[in-house]
Amino acid sequence: MSVRTAQIAARAVERLPTLVRPKVDPGDVVVPDGYAVEACVLGLSFPTGMGFADDGSLFVLEGGSTWPTRPYLPARILRFHPEKGRIEQFATEVLGGPRGVAYRDGAIYVSVKGGYFTHIDRYDLVTRERETVVDGLPNGGWHEPGGPVFGPDGLMYFAQGSVSQNGVALPQGFTVDLAKHPRAHDVPGQDVTLTGNDVWSRDPIAPFPFLTRTGAFKPFGEPSQPGEVVRGQLKCSSGLWRSRPDGSGLELLAWGLRNPYGMVFGEDGELYVSDNDYEEKGERAIAMDPDRLWRIGNVHRPHGSVETPEWYGFPDFAGDGLPVWHDKHRPTKGQAAEPLIENPPPMAGPAVYLAPPHSCMTKMDFCRSDEFGHRGLLFQCQWGTLAPLNSPRPEDLTHGFNVTCVDVKSSEAFPFMHNPQPGPASRHPGRGGIERPVDCKFSPDGQSLYVLDFGVVKVTEGYLLSYGHTGVLWRVTRR
Amino acid sequence: MSTAGTSGPVLVELDEELWSDWRDRIAAWLGNVTMTQSTFRRMAGDTAEKISEPHIKRYLTEIAEEAGRHEQKIDDLYRIIGRQASGGRRLGAAAMSRVQQVMGQLVGKAGGAPRAEWNLLRQLLPVNLDSIGAFSTAQQLGLALGLHEFAESIFPIVRRKEEHQLLIMEFMLEMGPQAILYRGGV
Repeated sequence: MSVRTAQIAARAVERLPTLVRPKVDPGDVVVPDGYAVEACVLGLSFPTGMGFADDGSLFVLEGGSTWPTRPYLPARILRFHPEKGRIEQFATEVLGGPRGVAYRDGAIYVSVKGGYFTHIDRYDLVTRERETVVDGLPNGGWHEPGGPVFGPDGLMYFAQGSVSQNGVALPQGFTVDLAKHPRAHDVPGQDVTLTGNDVWSRDPIAPFPFLTRTGAFKPFGEPSQPGEVVRGQLKCSSGLWRSRPDGSGLELLAWGLRNPYGMVFGEDGELYVSDNDYEEKGERAIAMDPDRLWRIGNVHRPHGSVETPEWYGFPDFAGDGLPVWHDKHRPTKGQAAEPLIENPPPMAGPAVYLAPPHSCMTKMDFCRSDEFGHRGLLFQCQWGTLAPLNSPRPEDLTHGFNVTCVDVKSSEAFPFMHNPQPGPASRHPGRGGIERPVDCKFSPDGQSLYVLDFGVVKVTEGYLLSYGHTGVLWRVTRR
Repeated sequence: MSTAGTSGPVLVELDEELWSDWRDRIAAWLGNVTMTQSTFRRMAGDTAEKISEPHIKRYLTEIAEEAGRHEQKIDDLYRIIGRQASGGRRLGAAAMSRVQQVMGQLVGKAGGAPRAEWNLLRQLLPVNLDSIGAFSTAQQLGLALGLHEFAESIFPIVRRKEEHQLLIMEFMLEMGPQAILYRGGV
């Protein structure tokens, strides 16, 4: 299938028909001396992830319904041939759309957010036949599938974020949650005993917005009881699993990961996972929670031997290891959080790296190339803040909007790719730099870093709007 | 669009021919926005005239006036996409308004509410809802194509029309027993 494209002889492009992003100019992007930036593809709609095949072609995912869920634009899996400058439509996914892609042995594996459940599809690259290899991962709420990625052991690793934003299903964003999935709820990965600290909120789908009470791990409007035990499930929310490529041998390695969108194995054989912070708004608000990078310990156990998954804190602990009701995390906007789980399991960690709150760490890749430089460093996309929607703090307005290099041994980091001024380019009239980096991948030859830019998202104190046809694929090379 | 340099990017669905076609399609949809909103504005005005209860009369009069302002804003949307409004859809709205009023009377009387005012009030609900849907759909088209002025100027209109919907619903429910049990007017 073809996609309508045109290639132009230009480095910078101005007067694009997308008036919210009329200009794309690599000259407005800052990278370290000795590196060059170019724009490869313009006009992508809500791109969410990408991955290389062994022939050097790059699969780029257009997310369909994303952040927010309207409008839907075709949830396409595109295949970009960088050397030929050609793009084809490889497949189209269902509503909810594709989020991550990995190549393995003549096939691609694609995580799909879906409706009430996330699933993973396998596509044969020759026949294009699609087969769902994993299904039924609880979703229907806010957060995203992570991965899939393949480990050095040949197994497939993938994740699914939490259903609720901050631990209880609340009407945070009407179109995303209650309107489409009113029965969605979080599911624990281990048996948990509830404190009964339910949350009161208004019910926007009632004839009048009556006050209603909601418990942890319950659908909106369903209370819990103190001492109530909720059984852990293999297919939980906020979980991370591995399986054979055909989906068999499913094993839960971890849970309590709020939004594990980025997953990558390092040359050290470790699995690193990015995770986003709680939000400072609403009826269970949590302030000053850092975004974080986890190293998943259970990866090193033999396949099939993990009896107890590691717990990474959701819904009661922040990325810094402190409980969410700690004074440091007390909100200035919204109602403070209370404990949800009685005697929680021991928390895994600590985090390898903590980023400023609301940086919105997304996908990432390790540099394995001496030729590109910075070998061994993690190149980590920071999609950028949703403040002032999810934080009232002025300092949060500019966090993210860059690709950050992280040394996972020392936890030191520096911004590698960013705009000259803080924030997305669209915040600075006349600028044609980056908006929201969502994924970065090194080409198989190690010479180029591709950076996928989601496009323009406008945020206010009450809502956010995303604009189609404003996504860009950038390429960074060493001069 | 202008370009500079020697080697450049692949553009996905950004060529002028496609966008000209897409602008035409948006203009066609704006015709629907015009017709649904004009129908609502006319019906709200007619209903306000017929109602004697002073509070409801005043609120409905204000809604009809604001509906007229929202209707005028549709011309701005045409301007943003470089197209011109056609007058035909407003003429269609005049006929549609009369059809909707007749339908409201027929359904209401069949249900045991013989007086015209409450039946018109009730019929305003689906007519405004249709218009809300038309505006909201236009907003999605603006979002899909990165037309921020287009999309963001619709947002406050839809918000106000949702408020109007809530208000009309409240009056319709409040006066329901009066219209059906007492067979009274509004």
